[in-house]
Amino acid sequence: MASLITCPHCGTRPKEEFSIRGTALGRPHPAVSEEDWHRYVYLRDNPKGRYQEYWHHAAGCRRWLVVDRDNVTHDVFGVTDAATFGRVGE
Amino acid sequence: MSLTLFHQHVLEDHLSGFEAKANPNHLAAIRRPAIFSVLAHRGHEVFVKSGLASIEGVQVRDCAPGEWLVVSTGLGAVVMENTLAEIAGASVIDQSDGRALLRIHGPNVRRILAKCVAVDLHPDGFAVGTSTNMLCCHVAVNLARSGGDTFEIVVPRSFCGSVFEEIMEMGREFALTAAFADS
Ligand SMILES: [Zn+2]
Repeated sequence: MASLITCPHCGTRPKEEFSIRGTALGRPHPAVSEEDWHRYVYLRDNPKGRYQEYWHHAAGCRRWLVVDRDNVTHDVFGVTDAATFGRVGE
Repeated sequence: MSLTLFHQHVLEDHLSGFEAKANPNHLAAIRRPAIFSVLAHRGHEVFVKSGLASIEGVQVRDCAPGEWLVVSTGLGAVVMENTLAEIAGASVIDQSDGRALLRIHGPNVRRILAKCVAVDLHPDGFAVGTSTNMLCCHVAVNLARSGGDTFEIVVPRSFCGSVFEEIMEMGREFALTAAFADS
């Protein structure tokens, strides 16, 4: 198994159980300009190194998770439930 | 519930006519289990969980935080629906016609399952009574350890034929047999 992700609910699982859904960006305020919404929906930085992504545990608990990892070394620094993550970030 | 689906088991075409004496490694397809999904409303998780634990004659399978499968081979779906309806703060959905229940048993069961799942099933990490959703033969199932050498798998109905064929293939070197069972 190439990469293992430790789901906070299900334990250590192969990456095949997940579907990667892109950078964990903060949702803009509904009243912001269309340009900001366009940027939020369509534009991504594609950074190299450590960053945070949404992963959906599709074949397990079906929860949305935020995986904090390095996309060069694939070191995983932490996995949190997206609900908790959102509340911390607010 | 759809009566047609309930009375025609999804593995009928895979199993009928092939029923032989069970070997030590054996897979049983349970004829008519009652299987319900239970989801706790936000804030009611602990209450619903203890409510489920107090019901007799059912097995409660963990799926996700606040989500369970309640499985019974003894109670009928109607009895179970009424019992579960008494638990406040929970949404209950009958899945008996949408899921199949397989029970695999035998001295080589872990060797067989090691070819189908990517989760470590050593008793230190996956003790009797543990259950969780995972990929089995590329299908999202709920797998539970009901005994030292016994595992129960809840499979979505439409995928059951494929999962069944793959497990039988993996069990061939251990002379795995299969048959229907009532409970
Ligand atoms: Zn999970």
